Formats: sequence, structure tokens, C-alpha cells
Amino acid sequence: MRIADCGLRIEEDEEADSQISNPASQIADETGVTRREIIKLTAGAMIVPALPQAKSRRSAKTQSRRPRFFTPAEIALVDELSELIIPADDHSPGARAAKAAEYIDQRLAESPEEEPKRQWREGLKLVDQISNEMSGRSFMQASPEQRVALLERIAQNETNPQKPEEKFFVELKSRVAHAYYTSKIGIHNELEYKGNTYLREFAGEDVSRK
Amino acid sequence: MTINLPDDKTVNLNKVYDAVVIGSGAAGGMAAHVLTSHGMKVLLLEAGRKVNTTEELKSTEWPYEHPRRGDMPPGNHALSLNEYTIRQPPYAAGIKANHVYSYVQGWGGSDYSKNLVVDEKDHPYTGTNYAWVRSRVLGGKTNIWGRLALRLSDYDFKAASRDGYGVDWPIEYKDIAPYYDKVDLLLGISGVKENLPYLPDSIFQRPTRLNEAEVHLRGSLAKMGRTLTPYRAGVTTEGVKNKYRMRCFGRGACARRAGGCDIHAVFDSPTGLIFPAFDTGNLTIRTNATVSEILVDTNTGKARGVAFVDTATGKSYEAKAKVVVLAASTLESARLMLLSKSRIHPAGMGNSSGQVGHNFCEHVMGPSVLGIYKNKIGAKRTLDDGRPGGFYVPRFRNLSEKHPKFIRAYGFEGGSGTTMFPGDAIGQPGFGASYKKRVRDYAGAFVSMGAFGEVLSRYENYVEIDPEMKDRWGIPVLRFNYKFGDNEKRMCEDMAEMAQEMFEAAGIEIVSVSKQMLTEGWSIHELGTARMGNDKKTSVVNQFQQSHDVKNLFVVDGSSHVSAACQNPTWTIMALAWRSCDYLADEFKKGNL
Repeated sequence: MRIADCGLRIEEDEEADSQISNPASQIADETGVTRREIIKLTAGAMIVPALPQAKSRRSAKTQSRRPRFFTPAEIALVDELSELIIPADDHSPGARAAKAAEYIDQRLAESPEEEPKRQWREGLKLVDQISNEMSGRSFMQASPEQRVALLERIAQNETNPQKPEEKFFVELKSRVAHAYYTSKIGIHNELEYKGNTYLREFAGEDVSRK
Repeated sequence: MTINLPDDKTVNLNKVYDAVVIGSGAAGGMAAHVLTSHGMKVLLLEAGRKVNTTEELKSTEWPYEHPRRGDMPPGNHALSLNEYTIRQPPYAAGIKANHVYSYVQGWGGSDYSKNLVVDEKDHPYTGTNYAWVRSRVLGGKTNIWGRLALRLSDYDFKAASRDGYGVDWPIEYKDIAPYYDKVDLLLGISGVKENLPYLPDSIFQRPTRLNEAEVHLRGSLAKMGRTLTPYRAGVTTEGVKNKYRMRCFGRGACARRAGGCDIHAVFDSPTGLIFPAFDTGNLTIRTNATVSEILVDTNTGKARGVAFVDTATGKSYEAKAKVVVLAASTLESARLMLLSKSRIHPAGMGNSSGQVGHNFCEHVMGPSVLGIYKNKIGAKRTLDDGRPGGFYVPRFRNLSEKHPKFIRAYGFEGGSGTTMFPGDAIGQPGFGASYKKRVRDYAGAFVSMGAFGEVLSRYENYVEIDPEMKDRWGIPVLRFNYKFGDNEKRMCEDMAEMAQEMFEAAGIEIVSVSKQMLTEGWSIHELGTARMGNDKKTSVVNQFQQSHDVKNLFVVDGSSHVSAACQNPTWTIMALAWRSCDYLADEFKKGNL
């Protein structure tokens, strides 16, 4: 059995030369534990799925699952709001590609608590209501500039939200950020997170040698 | 490597064991390890189940590989700081969720530890507010502990002589130092020698490293005569002779969950102590065995064994032993002594002094600082969290100078750099491309630290048996009478001021300073309740953790600590338990017990 067969992550970053390029044999060398045991211990836990394409973009129409809590119209709205909060940019895809709306839908659908469900239903209605007040159009029909203007309005008291729509923005953003930064895209493409890997030597400066 | 432990039903309860050990955490595991190494036949009783943490913890699973990104399924509720503050114990009362857990289950990755902590619905308590975190599984809280492994010094053991408050410990550093060494060598500890008389060095394995911001802060603190040292972690970084454990590979999962390590590089009692003890052939283990009382021999007044409830079947049993070793945790051991009332021991076994449950102490925490190290804003991403912990700033108060406002001291735990989830993503204001870029640019630039301070041991802080409420198994529960005092409040003010001062001196831009004291119990370092001492009127056990009243009863967990000091207690609990169990085995062989 070769190393590659058991799904061990091979670190390719040239700066990370302290990281193990051949982890199983390295572990075996340094601990005296057999390679078979290492493979048994770590296979499965260390498989890293292929990273998503940096430029891949999904539209709401290609949401792969039917929503369980939101209506189709609601999830399209959540999807659009999520992408406005964390948009795709030159660096990485945004919340839409990370399927933040789908994840929020799933968590709300299974929640036994009524309060967040009520807040989301009413919050989304408020978004359309305010959009109508501001531009005479529903949010999805409003222009990109009008959508941003609406978000700016409900985001203005973020640190001390008072009105229902302001409280909804805090909830919306918190859920979108959680969904995005725990997704493959958020962790690997956006933040280029380097941890959760087997290291030969700890990273950083060894102050015991000074 | 795993172990197959025999089924609970196979345990022989007709036999009189040399010793019965109650509890399987740091203290109980060490007692089992040491007593079996001396050839004694030991029965270890654990209230909870066996949990296979090698499979359960999934230390390297990515959030997106889990259906709820590591969160518990619906129907599981973790208590919040707010609930601990505005409600009174029992906290689970009236909560609709199927299971209610302490605050540690509110952290990310709680689904991996939900089987390791108690359901508050089954284990109520009453009285004053207290965030009591309990683990009833083989290994107890060592399965998820915070890993900071520190020694106490004579600044702690002789603190009363130094400042006039309380009483000295009946031991000095030189009494316990050889046992700290033994614990270091058996279990492995990582750190850097600093030659501080008030925080003695261990026999360290390969240290973890500091990142740029931490090295900078270390340099700045050195100019103030203060020390910042890499986290002294109870983790083997070079390996130990133990087939159940591997060395640390810096995977870093320990820093983003309630804790735990599926390769057992961090010390846990099952793989570090209990499994090796089992392999001697001298250890019998029964799990799901909740002890309800220590049984007395009415002729001699000595302990003759324990009564326990099988939590799987609800049936009651007795286990017989020549020596009873209590290691059920600071509060549970006190509870058991108080529950064990008899004609000979009317106030509870080992409680002729009336001190059991009293002098309850711990660490106060909450004051903390969050800042930004500007060099790292927008810098290329580095790997910062692949290690068991960040840094520790040892005490600097009341060493050579006397602080005008409070006695004793505190230390800081901290860290900096990139974590898997960018902690500021929720708090950074705004939305859109600029928000996203700001989260990205700042993700590696944050530095934070929070203090742990000594709560004075006071007779007035105590637990007692609630006259009415019982737990799921019909055992009367504890009632808390415990509050932080003025010394703690003044100390906490200083913690926040000093945190700010140290960051400012290092040029770290301050984002926020918290002065809030967290609810009593938050540090999970409860101590005292059966303190050691030479005077049997003011203490419960002697310097070998042997009951003054009942010579074949030993209390080897944190309940015997005379004062809390400000260092995390696990390493001291194990060093003391080892020392006492060497004495116990010697006395046992001489026929003195």
C-alpha cells in the first residue's frame, strides 16, 4: 500500500517545508509505531476533498436541493442577500458558491425552536417591504444599487440593533458568516487556512534556543 | 492502539479488593496506576460509561465534513453565560431541550464531546450560581482538559506564611518535586525552561513555538521584568513509552474544540494511566458504577467498601475493599463523604472536623484583552494554531512587592494568529467586498489573553447536601454556598488594567478589554473541600491525603488542596496522588491500614 492510497494530505505549499511530505513513514520513524498502525489511525480522518475551482459561480437556480424551511422565493432571496454580504471577488468565490443559503435552510428546518424561524420569515418579509418603500420594487426586482442601499440601511446599527430589520441583519450576517467560513471555499480558498495537518516540527520560532 | 475492557457484569463483587478507587480522572487514574504498580489488587469504579475517544473525537475532521459543521444535533442545549447569571441552579429545570449541557458544549465542535460531559437534567444541583462542568466517563475531564500543566512552588505552599492569610500546606516544594518529575517523565510535558522560582520548570520535551506577534510580546514583557513562555502543555511531543499514545503532530484540533485528542498525544487518564494499569493484571474496572456511600465497619469505624448504583440497570450493589480511595473530583468526593453518615461518623465519614465541603476555592477568570498586531494585517497566511496552546504569562504580582489592593496572584493564557474560523468574522462591521477583505486581512493579526487568578480559600465558601433534591439515581445532590469575595474583585480589576498595559507597551492595538468576572466555576478548577493539614481540627486529611479520622480512607483529588494558587491544578493533582499512593502502598504492606 502506498502513502497516496490512504488519502494522507500532501502539503504542496513551498513555504511549508517544515511540514511532512511523507507523513506516514515520518511518523513511523519518529515514534517507533508501525506504519500499518498509522495508516489505520489516520486513514479516513485525513482525506481532504479536492478544492473547489476558484472561479466557479453558482446561481440560485442551481441550488442542488429543494429548500426544507424556506419557500423557493425565500431561499432565492437569502441566497442573494448572502452573496451581497460575502460576495465573490478576485480572491475567492462568495457565499453563493459556498451554498450558505442551503446550509442555513437545513439548520432552520431541523431546529425545534420557533423563535429563529419566526425571525427569518418576518425578516425576509421586512426586506421586501422596505425595498418597496425605498424603490417601489421587491428586493429581487430592485437594481443592484437599490439592494445595496437597503442593506446599508438595515446594517447601520449593527453594534446596537433596535428595529426588527436591524436585528434581522445581525442574525442574517452571523449565519452567513458562520456558513461561509466553515465551508470548503471559506476555509481553503478564501482564508487559505494552513492548519489541520500533520507537522514534522511546530511552526514559528523556538524561543528555547535563544 | 485500543484496548478491549471486560464487560461490567464480569466484575467479581464477592472479592475483597486491596483498594477500591472511586473516579477515573487525573487522580483516580493515577491512584490505579500507582497502586497496581505496587502489586495491589485494585477495583476502579467509574460513574459513567466507557467512551472510545480514539473514534469519537475525530480530531482532524473538517467542519464541512460534518452535517452541522461540528455542532450538536437539535434537542441538545448548552447553557449560556446569560443563563448562568440570570437563573438559579438547577439550571436545566424548565428547559425544553432533550439534553442540557454546561457552557463548554456551546463551543465549536460540541458534537464531538457531547458524550463526554454530563446531562444537567440527570445531575442537578442547587444553591448559589455556579457553572459546574462535569464529565462522567472513563477518564473524566482529562478527556477534554485544557492541557496547561504547571507546577506550584513554595510561593504557593507557604503563601500563608508570606502574607498572613489562611494556612500553609503541610508540604514544601521539595516534598512534591520528585513526584512532579515522575509525572513529567511518565506522561510527557512540553515547554521551555525559564528558571522562575515561582513557576518551577518541568522536565520538558520539545517545546511548541511562538509566532511573530508572540515573540514580539515576549520581548516587550521581558523589558517589564515579566515572562511570556510557550504553553506548558501536558502533551508528549517526543513520545513516551506507552503503546496507547502517540506524540503530538501539531494538528491543532485541540485548540478549536472542547478538547480531546484522538491520538492521545495530550495526556488523558485512560490511555496514560488506566490502560497501562489494566495491563499489569492487577486492575479491575467497573464503569456505570455511581457510588452513593462509603460503607463503614461498625466495629472498627474504618471504611469497608462502597455502595453503588449500576446506572445502566438502576440496581444497587456493594464493593468490598481494605482501603477506599476517593478520587471523584473536588466536589463529588466531598459529597460522598458528607453522604456517608453513620453512628460512628455522624457528620459524614472523615468529617469530625466539620471542614468537609468548606474552604472551597478555585480560579477566577474573565478579564481579558484582544488586540491587533499590525505587522500581520494583510500579511501572507501562516500556520499558527498547529500546537496544543499559545502562551502563558506567569504571575508577577505579590512576589517581592506587596500589592496594596489584593493578595495572591494571577497568570495569563493567550495566543495569536490564524485560527480555522476567523473569530472576528461575526464582529467585523459592514458587509460586501470590503467586509470580506477586512476579515481576510485581519484573520492572522489578532492577539488575545485572559487571566486566571487565585480565589482565596474561605471557610464561608462551601457545599453541603441539599435536604430535598436528588439526582436521577436517587442520590441527594449538592447545594452551593459560594461567592467570589472582595480580594477576587480587586484582583480582577488589576488583571484588566495589566492586560491593557502590557499590550499597549508592546504596541499592540487594543480592540477590547473585558473586565467582566465570569460566573463562579467557569475555570473548571474547583479545589479545596477536604483540605490537607497537620491539625485534625482544621483539616480533613494529612499530607498523604489520608483521612485524619479513618486511616484506610484516602482523598487524592483536588479536594485536598489547601489553596488554589493561580496555576492550573492537573499536574499537581497527579503528583500529589502519586506521592500519597506510594505512602498508601507502603503502609498497606506494613499492615498499618
